[in-house]
Amino acid sequence: MAHVQVVFFWFAYLLYAGGFVCFAYFLFSRRELQDRLGMACVAAGWLLETMALAARWVEAGHAPVVGGYESMATLSWAIVAVYLILAWRTRVKALGLYVVPAALVFLTIAWGRYAPPAHLVPALKSDIVVIHVGMIFTALAAFLVAGGAALIYLVEDIALKRRHIGPVLGRLPSLRTLDQLVGHAVMTGLPFLSMGIAAGAIRAEKFGVEHWWRDAVVALAVIAWAIYAGFVYARLAAGWTGRRTAWLAIAGLVCLLAIRLVAVPYLSGFHVWGK
Amino acid sequence: MHLVVTGISHKTAPLELRERLALPCDEAARFGRRLLDAGPAAEAVVLTTCNRTEVYLFADDTLAAGRLAVERLAALAGVDPAELRAAAYQKSGDDAIAHLFRVAASLDSLVVGEAQIVAQLKDAYRAACGEGCTSTVFNKLFRHALEVGKRVRSETAIGERPVSVSSVAVDLARQVLGKLERRVVLVLGAGETSELTVRHLQAHGAGAVVVVNRTLAKAEELAARCHGRAVCLDELDAQLVAADIVISSTGSRDFVVDRARFAEIMRRRRRRPVFVIDIAVPRDFEPAVGRLEGCYLYDIDDLQGVVAANRDQRERQVAQAERIVAEELARMNEWLASLEVVPTIAQLRSAIDGIREAELERMAGPLGTLSPAQRAQVEQLTTSIVNKILHLPTVRMKELAAERDVSVYVDALRRLFDLDEVAPVPARDGDAAAGAAGAALPRTASADCALPTPAADAAPPAPPAPFVSPAQAS
Repeated sequence: MAHVQVVFFWFAYLLYAGGFVCFAYFLFSRRELQDRLGMACVAAGWLLETMALAARWVEAGHAPVVGGYESMATLSWAIVAVYLILAWRTRVKALGLYVVPAALVFLTIAWGRYAPPAHLVPALKSDIVVIHVGMIFTALAAFLVAGGAALIYLVEDIALKRRHIGPVLGRLPSLRTLDQLVGHAVMTGLPFLSMGIAAGAIRAEKFGVEHWWRDAVVALAVIAWAIYAGFVYARLAAGWTGRRTAWLAIAGLVCLLAIRLVAVPYLSGFHVWGK
Repeated sequence: MHLVVTGISHKTAPLELRERLALPCDEAARFGRRLLDAGPAAEAVVLTTCNRTEVYLFADDTLAAGRLAVERLAALAGVDPAELRAAAYQKSGDDAIAHLFRVAASLDSLVVGEAQIVAQLKDAYRAACGEGCTSTVFNKLFRHALEVGKRVRSETAIGERPVSVSSVAVDLARQVLGKLERRVVLVLGAGETSELTVRHLQAHGAGAVVVVNRTLAKAEELAARCHGRAVCLDELDAQLVAADIVISSTGSRDFVVDRARFAEIMRRRRRRPVFVIDIAVPRDFEPAVGRLEGCYLYDIDDLQGVVAANRDQRERQVAQAERIVAEELARMNEWLASLEVVPTIAQLRSAIDGIREAELERMAGPLGTLSPAQRAQVEQLTTSIVNKILHLPTVRMKELAAERDVSVYVDALRRLFDLDEVAPVPARDGDAAAGAAGAALPRTASADCALPTPAADAAPPAPPAPFVSPAQAS
């Protein structure tokens, strides 16, 4: 089973990379063909990654969310899933330029932390943990997409403001489209983040973790939640759009990435499993 | 028979002459019909656009056919024939085909890469079909030309980016605001470029148009033409708050809108994005306005910079497009050459077969004693000898069809075997040669003109059934 998994992962990796090359080429050539080819590559890679994760699930006997390897691989899978849905619904494919490399980075990190499946520690043998992780990952994927759209928005905004029109015109999605995408993605992610944090809190209480609220991961997650809540308020009530909300989306994402890339590996808290 | 094209274009004739020769599509086709009825040509297509009027003819005597076309064209337009002759160009053979392909690829257009020409060519061809002016060669040639046009557009970036200020403005507006449906357009000052830009915006779905001008009468004039509404200058601030797209081109010496005034307007808009093009010289908007959040301000230089860059980019695609044209010209010539070979092989075969039958006839007496079975064997034997002899020359001729000097071989065959003098290519009204090759060649019929033809006609015509020998068939 492990072999199958590895082969699937590698092919998924190659397909994502191929998809990214297509998207990058599309930016210069603006041919529909490369765009479609890129989408096809990413979709095929995602299917392979799904199969690889399924294989891992069968091998480990539990959902593949324990330890660096599994959680990073699942995260990249979730990002691409969210991207595929959004690209299909909104036809904003240029996002692939950001989302696909992000997925590749997470896959690379996952490979660096490859470990055979670990046995579940008692603390993780719980349905509520699966809900917690599932919710958080969905939220993270949505926020990553939002952050990417926000980043592209800011770059395009600066280019248009400085009148560097040529490189942008007709290549990137319009500012309005990106702005709406940021809004939709954040508003999709926030309920999942809320539920994920709630599920985690419930589990921590039940399991009797002392001072769980002082954990760096929890603190960063709450800060991110506050930023996104502020985003939704500013957008709906105060009528903020464009640059300001884009910065908020990026700030929230930085907090979330800090959890995954800094807090979990370096600031040891109770969230470190499968090491 | 050869191809010839004669006519005028923006490169050879002034506008006054071009306008007089600009015929509507159906009238042009009827003109082609009358030319064919007059004699010298077998097929005709007349292409007229605002930049060119040209007549494509397929004729034995290309010079005479071209001359007649120019004379008739002059008579039709009421122009002095000498004047038209001076402005007209005439190309024949490969040059004519290359010319048609370059026209279809919009390489010969005023604005290289413009998209309309393919549709105009298609219309001209359709109309000519409707009048029964096309047959085997032109059906193939014009469909091929349309394919060339499509190929150049899809394989090069020649027509991708806009090359006029107003269309760049529209693209830019869409880059900022997304879809333009229901977007409010404010026109400040009434200039020609403003009007053109408004029309472009409306073509992309823009909503209400509001015209503000110092003199209300002028504003009302423009508003009437754009189905908009005129407003006097006092209301400018309120209109700036409401608008999504602002086009400004007043004759004012000073800034009409400065930074402080527009900052207040942006506040009232709650920083809802606004797209401003200031095409006035001197400018109407203080440049600092463009630094306000949510305001995207461009002046005439910004737009012209994009136009110039896009033009350069098109020019860079020309070489690639010319390569495609050359490739397609070679393919077309292959097809034309094979057209020449097919009837010759057919005649050769029927001539030899004629000899065989005549000899059998001559020996009817001595052979009369044979049983039917033996008689059949003799038939089979002689047929097989003929087939064996003809097999190699047939194969060779078909191979040679791709070569440029195939006509030498065609000519040699004709002389050596004393084949009847028959036109190598079937003429429109279907003479003997057309009968020989007609089985495999598309004939003039309205069904033939159905466009587009994916892959149809892509290969040279298959040889007519009679000379597919048993050896070839295997």
